[in-house]
Amino acid sequence: MKFSFTDDQRLFAEGLRDLLANECPASLVREVWENGTGHSPELWSHLSGMGVLSIMAPESDGGMGGSFVDAILLFQELGRAAVPGPVLEHMAVAVPAIASTTFGAPLIAGDSIATLWVDDSPYVAHAAVADVIVRKDHVLESFDATDAHGMDGGRRLFTVAGGERTNANANVGGLDPFDAMALASAAYLIGLSERMIEIAAEYARVREQFGKPIGSFQAVKHLMSDALLKVEFAKAPTYRAAFSASTGADTTTRDISMAKALASEAAYRTSRSTMQVHGGIGYTWEADLQLWMKKAWALMRSYGDANFHRRRVSGFVLA
Amino acid sequence: MDLRETADEIAFRLEARTWLEANVPSEPLPSFDTAEGFALHRQWEKKLYDGRWSAVSWPEQYGGRGADYIKWLIFEEEYYRAGAPGRVNQNGIFLLGPTIMEVGTDAQKEKFLPTMASSEIVWGQAWSEPNAGSDLAGIKSKAMRDGDDWILNGQKIWASRAVWADWCFGIFRTDPEAERHRGLTFILCPLNLPGITVRPIAQLDGDTGFAEIFFDDVRVPVENTLGEVDKGWGVAMATAGFERGVSLRSPARFSEAVNRLVQLWNRLGDKSDTALADAVTDVWMQAEGYRLHTYQTVTGMLEGRPIGAEASLNKIFWSEMDVRIHEIALQIIGPEAERMEGPLERWVDGFLFSLSGPIYAGTNEIQRNIIADRVLQLPKGM
Repeated sequence: MKFSFTDDQRLFAEGLRDLLANECPASLVREVWENGTGHSPELWSHLSGMGVLSIMAPESDGGMGGSFVDAILLFQELGRAAVPGPVLEHMAVAVPAIASTTFGAPLIAGDSIATLWVDDSPYVAHAAVADVIVRKDHVLESFDATDAHGMDGGRRLFTVAGGERTNANANVGGLDPFDAMALASAAYLIGLSERMIEIAAEYARVREQFGKPIGSFQAVKHLMSDALLKVEFAKAPTYRAAFSASTGADTTTRDISMAKALASEAAYRTSRSTMQVHGGIGYTWEADLQLWMKKAWALMRSYGDANFHRRRVSGFVLA
Repeated sequence: MDLRETADEIAFRLEARTWLEANVPSEPLPSFDTAEGFALHRQWEKKLYDGRWSAVSWPEQYGGRGADYIKWLIFEEEYYRAGAPGRVNQNGIFLLGPTIMEVGTDAQKEKFLPTMASSEIVWGQAWSEPNAGSDLAGIKSKAMRDGDDWILNGQKIWASRAVWADWCFGIFRTDPEAERHRGLTFILCPLNLPGITVRPIAQLDGDTGFAEIFFDDVRVPVENTLGEVDKGWGVAMATAGFERGVSLRSPARFSEAVNRLVQLWNRLGDKSDTALADAVTDVWMQAEGYRLHTYQTVTGMLEGRPIGAEASLNKIFWSEMDVRIHEIALQIIGPEAERMEGPLERWVDGFLFSLSGPIYAGTNEIQRNIIADRVLQLPKGM
């Protein structure tokens, strides 16, 4: 029993954090919201160049052959920086699932961009910037996308019609694409939450009322500590779910649902507490916090919300 | 990362399971906070010691097995799975013992650890005072140097196990000029000395699990000082960190409790009450999350990343989870939840006991302050 990441896994995640600190500041996230694209081609090519986008492609197809355990801290770092665009869909589903098809090589190289359309969803995120849409049993190209006005400007929503179909299986190992995305989103939500807590802590250290930094007040301390508690206790279940998915454990579905339920609730609680710590400025378009909050509110409902996943866990746990 | 047990770990688990199945009393022992129950629990601890199971993570020379923390967690899982008795010498084996190993002299290790492992000496805590609770640095009990002795005077309160324990450990003010957490010394003291009066306090459940201790010119040799004179606060905080961190409430306790809760729900729950079903699953996930978090923490400790102020997160998490487990159980059992004796009394007792968790070992409000100050780096201030 060894519940830790290797030095290589940790160093890769730290490298990604450093890259994103430079290449994906809040100003870039805001820029792609406000220019209406929800995607940064420059950032995409940085991520491709570092090997992030292809980490889960099989080595035989020119990728890094990474498992979910290898990728999970990267999903978390992408969330910490609120990276816009279809990074999760591309990395966690499209690349590993269809690497060996004719679509594979440009996806692995990052020249072609994929997003995912899960069954039963009326909307497809990121469709306007995607070259291909992966569905459970086929791939779509040359489709029409109509803006559905999503809340998160870094995760634009569309309805999709038409398109050319090519049959393909979107399972990742034995994992349904919905579950692969639930797992990747759980880690991304944890990263978002970590950063929201940092932003609010930075604010609480400098904002003064009654002649003192508001972070010195117990009401503020306790709000922040409770948010951190939820986030910290969502991490180990998420990493465990990655291990289960990587090893094809019998409990994989249950473990992914537990991770997504806990991470969704942690992210929501964190968004509420960190906005409250900001006071009036937290309710403005100008405050960067909204870039993280809205992504949390979008992702916590995507690929199964906390209620859905809790009920799925119930199916395994209760008689 | 490999969350599967090694062959060695599986063998250890089976060895523990086999021994426990053969040795755990078939009937639950009376509460260790009664005279009869205390004696029976001491006998049980001796049996554990004879099988070298009382302190598995201790070095072999002191009666342990030198097991790493992963194995300790495995042992705890087997221990709770077997329904084995509560640990009457928890204060000693899990709190004071590790502290003595860290800061004690060789003579102190030889003197105190073997008798602690065997529970020939059972230990009580003597930290809080009437005016030093959450504000523990407000300690007023004094130790004055007289030749080779300390003379202790003052009053301690909420001293766990002190009613029947043999010795206690506490912090006393040794430098009357020093303020707050400076000038305190960690002292070990037998409870049968002249000048000591122990007054039991009945807990919410009626048992006398804690006590007041009055010290009236009590004389103890200076060899009973643990760590340096006037540096007792640091020693005490090391002990408290361990208590909040991993040792006080091993995850196995909650895994076992939620498994019983699920069985209770399956047997008695109104299956049309989906809100209550959700609550059961929620708390099952919490217990599972706590277990996973602990394995992660412990792997980190084994790889040289010691636990710090994050320990306060654990303390809040397990104590609130424990209350929640029991609240849900009482909702499931309905009218029986009003009865202190009956087929489901264990849940009612457990509910009362769980309410102590958010208060002792530093209230959860104090833990939130610690997290805010040391983990989140928010400015100090009350």
